[in-house]
Amino acid sequence: MSAIRTEKLRKTYGDVTALADLTLDIEAGELFGALGPNGAGKTTTIGILTGQLQPDSGTASVLGHDPVAEPVETRRHVGILPEQESPPSFMTPREYFDFVATVRDVPADVVEERVEQWAQRLSFAEKLDTLSSDLSRGQQQKVMITQAFLHEPEVVFIDEPLANLDPIVQERVKRYLQDYRERGNTLFISTHHIEVAEEICSRVGIVYDGRLIADRRPAEMDDEESLLDTFVANVGSDEEWTEPTATAGDD
Amino acid sequence: MTSLNRRLFVEMLREEWRLHSELFGGSRFAGFPVFVALLTSGAVYLLTTTGTEIGAILAGVHGLALFFGLRTGSTGFVGQDAMRDVLGDATMLVFSARTLPVSQRRLLSVFLLKDAVYYAVLFLLPIAVGFTPAVASGDLTLLAIPTAWATTTAMFLLGVTITFAAIGLSTRGASGRLLLLGLAAGAGLAFVSGVDFVQFTPYGLFDGATLPEVVVALAPIPLLAVIGIAVYDTSYERAARTAGRTFPRWQARLPFDADGLTVKTLLDVQRSSGGLGKVLFSGGILFAVSWLLIDLAETITGLEPSTGISFGAILALSAFTTYNWITMYDDVASYQLYPVSVADAVRAKFRAFLVLGIPTCVGYFLLAVVWQGARLPEAVVGLVLLVGVALYLFGVTVALAGFDPNEFLFDTVLFAGFGAALAVVLVPILIVGLVLAPVSTGLLVALGVGGVLVGGIGIALYRRSVPKWERHYRR
Repeated sequence: MSAIRTEKLRKTYGDVTALADLTLDIEAGELFGALGPNGAGKTTTIGILTGQLQPDSGTASVLGHDPVAEPVETRRHVGILPEQESPPSFMTPREYFDFVATVRDVPADVVEERVEQWAQRLSFAEKLDTLSSDLSRGQQQKVMITQAFLHEPEVVFIDEPLANLDPIVQERVKRYLQDYRERGNTLFISTHHIEVAEEICSRVGIVYDGRLIADRRPAEMDDEESLLDTFVANVGSDEEWTEPTATAGDD
Repeated sequence: MTSLNRRLFVEMLREEWRLHSELFGGSRFAGFPVFVALLTSGAVYLLTTTGTEIGAILAGVHGLALFFGLRTGSTGFVGQDAMRDVLGDATMLVFSARTLPVSQRRLLSVFLLKDAVYYAVLFLLPIAVGFTPAVASGDLTLLAIPTAWATTTAMFLLGVTITFAAIGLSTRGASGRLLLLGLAAGAGLAFVSGVDFVQFTPYGLFDGATLPEVVVALAPIPLLAVIGIAVYDTSYERAARTAGRTFPRWQARLPFDADGLTVKTLLDVQRSSGGLGKVLFSGGILFAVSWLLIDLAETITGLEPSTGISFGAILALSAFTTYNWITMYDDVASYQLYPVSVADAVRAKFRAFLVLGIPTCVGYFLLAVVWQGARLPEAVVGLVLLVGVALYLFGVTVALAGFDPNEFLFDTVLFAGFGAALAVVLVPILIVGLVLAPVSTGLLVALGVGGVLVGGIGIALYRRSVPKWERHYRR
């Protein structure tokens, strides 16, 4: 059964085409990684699938809901972790989780327990009563990860999940994402880190110029093939760039 | 100026321009200085023809320049995180000491110079030019215009450098803050004991001054700038602030706030600089201005105004500043992570407005009624007008500017639209309140019905504008 579907999704910003007829079909229980260079259209795709942006044309569906026509209802059933959003500056993480729980109708006792677990998992228990504006970027990212999973949604959209995190926490997050998927949930992550996509995703789509140009399952790829090769073959290689040589007179 | 300083100066100037034009109406922002000049001209013409002393107008403009400078001066220091609340993920050159081989002190010095040039040309020059009607009527000489430009610019710089020095000292721990407190107490004491500060400010130079007086009036500017830049501790980091679990407590007290969005807004206002006191303070300024205007109207017309009607109409203007405070610390995008619509977000702002804005203006209204005395029927109708016009202003602001009411201040078209919508309602009420007192029963009934009607129009305006903003923010 499809958890996320798009059909010829198109979105432009002025003269720039962010999505050019993007078609996707992601099954429930997949950890799908949208891999692509900066500006490929990954963030726009998440924006449309979570009802934050309106496409120019095409259709989309998340857990049977149309995010274009029913943005609020769609967001009720999903978790969202955007790349550039911080928790509200003048709330402490504890208050922010109270707020998220209220907005998402999560019972107070359940929230207490989950916040406790997340604070331990991501090592920010001692920051729970610090105003969010005074947290480091890494701590803010931990708070934002927690809010995305607080209501344990069936589908979670994550833009660059490991941004600003230290290596130990990165490992814990990667492990949690895989466990979460094994419990039957669906995750859509956007990244431009090939090794992360290769390591944790059950399926990787390479997005370039607003199109899905390759679709792979890392576990099924043979030893000869790597995501990096696939990426380079489709997106372009480093060989196209030649470092300029120093000219006479340069120090 | 060295080539690096020159380059920094040009880039900061460009950055400031782009920042303002991005925030306030794009290319329309270029017309803003012309609009300021026209607005000042109109105000100078109206005030002088209704008998206001030109000296009083000039004093007001100099005071405004000082206040503007005090506000602007904090920008270089407040830091990127505070700016982010207003501007989004913006990075400004003045914050680039950590990434460029340029010292924070050099960046601050160039930033100060950039502020001086940018605001002197774009804002203070149009204001000075706006005094042309007073020259035409013979109230001022032609020379007064460049003089006013120079002295308002100097007042602006005085404000900027006072803030620079104060913030610089506050980064020096307890000793710096203690010194700052001592200086403020000394200044307060001197003022109370009758020292005329004005003669030591650039405003004191407006009517001509001797060379020593010029030196005394202008010397504090470079002195304060040097102190601010020299004592500013570039390694200063504010201690992380903690807070108790206020959110659920406040939410329990607001039974209508099931989704918690209103409490979030109230917490933003309460925990940001100035706390809830800033709402009271801006209301207090409007109260003082209302008092002066109504008093002035009485002097000009020789008629006793209706306290209830006139204060009711003017104090309702605080709706705009309150809406500004409650929308300043977030944007619509931040709500789009949750199952919340734009309508829910605006409704939360409306409720926060009812909780914060209405009691504030009603409080000042009651103060005016008690202090000035008012006929009971006029006070009751004034109260209806106060609430009605405040709701109307809320609706007009949401309809025109959505979550960005600051755009009004710099977007000529929006400002003109807002001014027209305001005038349609306020002018008739003020004519009745200032000229037709005591107000007849028939007129009072009409005004009361009108107050309820404009309040209803305000609510309808905000509700009807929601789909427009829903589309706008998903574009």
